[in-house]
Amino acid sequence: MLSMPLPRHLRLLAVTLASGLLALVAIGTASAIQPRGITDEAHKMNDLFWIVLIVALVVFVLVAAALVYALVRYRRKDDELPEQFHGGGKIEVAMVGVPVLIVIALFTISMLTLIEIDDKAPDDALTIEVTGFQFSWQFAYKMSDLGTNSDPNADPDDAISIIGTPQNDPILYLPVDEPVEFLLKSNDVIHSFYVKDFLYKLDLIPGRVNSFTVTPRETGDFSAQCAELCGTNHALMRFVVRVVERDEFDAWVAQEAARQLGEDTLVSSSGKQGD
Amino acid sequence: MATVEVPQLSGYHRPAVLDWITTVDHKKLGILYLYFTLFFFAVGGVLALLVRTQLAVADNSFVGNDLYNQIFTMHASAMLFLFIIPVWAGFGNYLVPLQIGAADMAFPRINALSFWMLPPAGILMFAGFIVDGGAADGGWTAYSPLAQQTGVGMDMWIIAVIVLGMSSTIGAANFLVTMFRMRAPGMTMFRMPIFCWTMLVTALLQLLATPVLAAALVMLFIDRNYGGQFFDPNGGGNVVLWQNVFWFYSHPAVYIMILPGMGIISEILPVFSRKPLFGYKAFVFATIGIGGLGFSVWAHHMFTTGSVLLPFFGFMTFMIGVPTGVKIFNWLGTLWGGSITFPTPMLFAIGFVSMFLIGGINGTFSAAVPVDFALHDTYFVVAHIHYVLFGGSVFAVFGGIYYWFPKIWGRKLNERLGKLHFALMFVGFNVAFFPMHMLGLDGMPRRIAVYAEGAGWEALNMLSTGGAFLIAVSMIPFIIAVVWAFMRPMDQPDDPWEANTLEWATSSPPPEYNFDSLPPVRSERPLFDARQGSGEGH
Ligand code: HEM
Ligand SMILES: [Cu+2]
Ligand SMILES: [Cu+2]
Repeated sequence: MLSMPLPRHLRLLAVTLASGLLALVAIGTASAIQPRGITDEAHKMNDLFWIVLIVALVVFVLVAAALVYALVRYRRKDDELPEQFHGGGKIEVAMVGVPVLIVIALFTISMLTLIEIDDKAPDDALTIEVTGFQFSWQFAYKMSDLGTNSDPNADPDDAISIIGTPQNDPILYLPVDEPVEFLLKSNDVIHSFYVKDFLYKLDLIPGRVNSFTVTPRETGDFSAQCAELCGTNHALMRFVVRVVERDEFDAWVAQEAARQLGEDTLVSSSGKQGD
Repeated sequence: MATVEVPQLSGYHRPAVLDWITTVDHKKLGILYLYFTLFFFAVGGVLALLVRTQLAVADNSFVGNDLYNQIFTMHASAMLFLFIIPVWAGFGNYLVPLQIGAADMAFPRINALSFWMLPPAGILMFAGFIVDGGAADGGWTAYSPLAQQTGVGMDMWIIAVIVLGMSSTIGAANFLVTMFRMRAPGMTMFRMPIFCWTMLVTALLQLLATPVLAAALVMLFIDRNYGGQFFDPNGGGNVVLWQNVFWFYSHPAVYIMILPGMGIISEILPVFSRKPLFGYKAFVFATIGIGGLGFSVWAHHMFTTGSVLLPFFGFMTFMIGVPTGVKIFNWLGTLWGGSITFPTPMLFAIGFVSMFLIGGINGTFSAAVPVDFALHDTYFVVAHIHYVLFGGSVFAVFGGIYYWFPKIWGRKLNERLGKLHFALMFVGFNVAFFPMHMLGLDGMPRRIAVYAEGAGWEALNMLSTGGAFLIAVSMIPFIIAVVWAFMRPMDQPDDPWEANTLEWATSSPPPEYNFDSLPPVRSERPLFDARQGSGEGH
């Protein structure tokens, strides 16, 4: 085996490895691109993603280049035994030091982003209670908690709610440019509220309430779905996030309130403005 | 070095089958482990192909949603619990006593018991497919309360995993005692072959972590069958408790699944670079470091539960990148300045280094907590799992098979077929798993049986499925090479590769008692020293 001519092995190795690795770098740079997201928080997380991606690509290219170089440069040319180098001293310090520095830098940046996105909702923010169930979602909007258009006189129990089915994806209406607080609950198994364009997910866990706040900045329809295996029809636990202007949101609330709560508790779109 | 003329006992011969069933010889048990685990690699592979067939096109109805959940759960369970964890016990069984110059494991009968616990467990787990309600379908992670809902297949899965855990716990104790007590004269701890070191740390992890999993599984079994409420919030239990105990085991377990593979390629790279491993002690300490840190990062699987201390677990997870980086330097430094040849074991070792590099790097994306909020439970994580476990562990398994085949069976696997096997597998692997990064970034959740037309995931999924089938095709040259090797006579010398460690000092295959005589051990490379005609010292 060792006496077989080398170039052929080498070509094989070079072709598979080099083309594989280079293709990966190329594809990686060109298309490993996360959507930028539609919320303030998503934009910050996406910035962090790009920092990590760039550091990752630099590390990858340097190490992969060193690997390919070593394989080509140090292939066996004669029977002489190479220098029997065991390593030691300075190089081993660098072996530990370089990764430590990279890792601490990345950790620090991640924590800064974590602090930035972990904002508390203002008291008057729109609050939506999300309940996941096998296999769809319920979105409940309290009439007393509708954000800039809350009805301070509304019965605290009055709420409109949207309930989906696996065949009929529910629509989650959000007003643009306003902070929204989500309260996440489940009564059966664990689900996960995942909106790709929020770049965010948070689990719905029986026995606990999780919450988070985002401020959407773009109008439109965005598809979303459950991200935690929850049984047979987990894959069908989809929903649509519909971000609209405030008037349109108010009109939708009025229409749903009329339908679900009857005329008397109707919040007219002319606006009994809250405080 | 060793003589091959071993006088054979004449007279009574046990029938071969009986001989294999009753053997307590570590080499035969090692071979049984290899057969058993490779069988379940094939089974898990077929299940993976079903998964990929289902996901090839949007809105597919090839398998129903229910069956799909069983298939991917059993795919992962087979690959992890019945293939990758016990395959290291197989390599370890065969190699550890030979590498430290011992005649057998410390407790040969317990060793046999460890192995014989596996087949019933494997059968029990897969028998789930024929009972009412089907096999376990809650994912290999069996998150509660979902794991409370499914049929009796889940109970069978729980018992099977408990039995498998017992097998690896007693196996671990056996490995530790063997390495602490039975090393050849002159073999200090820091002259032990690097593969033994990785088995040692793996055994420690198994000993410390597996009982925790067993306890969690027993609690789950009680919840399911005897009205327990450990994980039931309605009875005062805690849903997230399951995840804490499960990952307290399963994060260390991912190192149980990869460390011996790192050991294997750290045997192969020096031999085919004709240099010692660069930074032997750094490698040992990095291995111990990974083992230690491995117990403090479990909650990085739970960043989106809203119930863990994000900065702490984020920090510890990043820190694990350090010993991992050290190892990459160890391997590069070994190649650097060497005299490198490229037989098949070396190709797989180099494949390991390059793919594990990617697996380490994409893991740091998830260590960055806010980035993980997007990536968790998407296909990005599936890509990560497979770059480490397939690009890493599985490549190491095949590297090890090509490397030690001459020792174990006295024959060499054909080089051309081996190289073809490597090339197909390397390309197929990347085609199958690299696109999953993009799918995950584009929001495709894992563990979904169907995705809608127009989600934009069709092309990459089709590509990935093509890659999976290419991996399956790559097994054809391997199988041919094995069959062909067995049709030929045993012709391998003691040390066909000019290797370094003691297993190459005896005949191929070794006699039942392993060694006629041992060379002196004055460094971690006794055979190299013997070839050079001097003790080099270390
Ligand atoms: C032919 C090779 C393989 C293919 C095509 C393949 C494919 C897949 C796919 C598509 C999934 C995702 C299933 C889903 O989320 O719906 C998956 C999950 C997984 N695979 Fe593989 N796989 C292969 C080999 C392996 C190997 C060798 C291992 C381990 C050594 C492994 C371990 C896992 C694990 C742990 C999961 C996660 C399962 C879960 O979370 O339930 N796979 N695999
Ligand atoms: Cu779900
Ligand atoms: Cu982990």
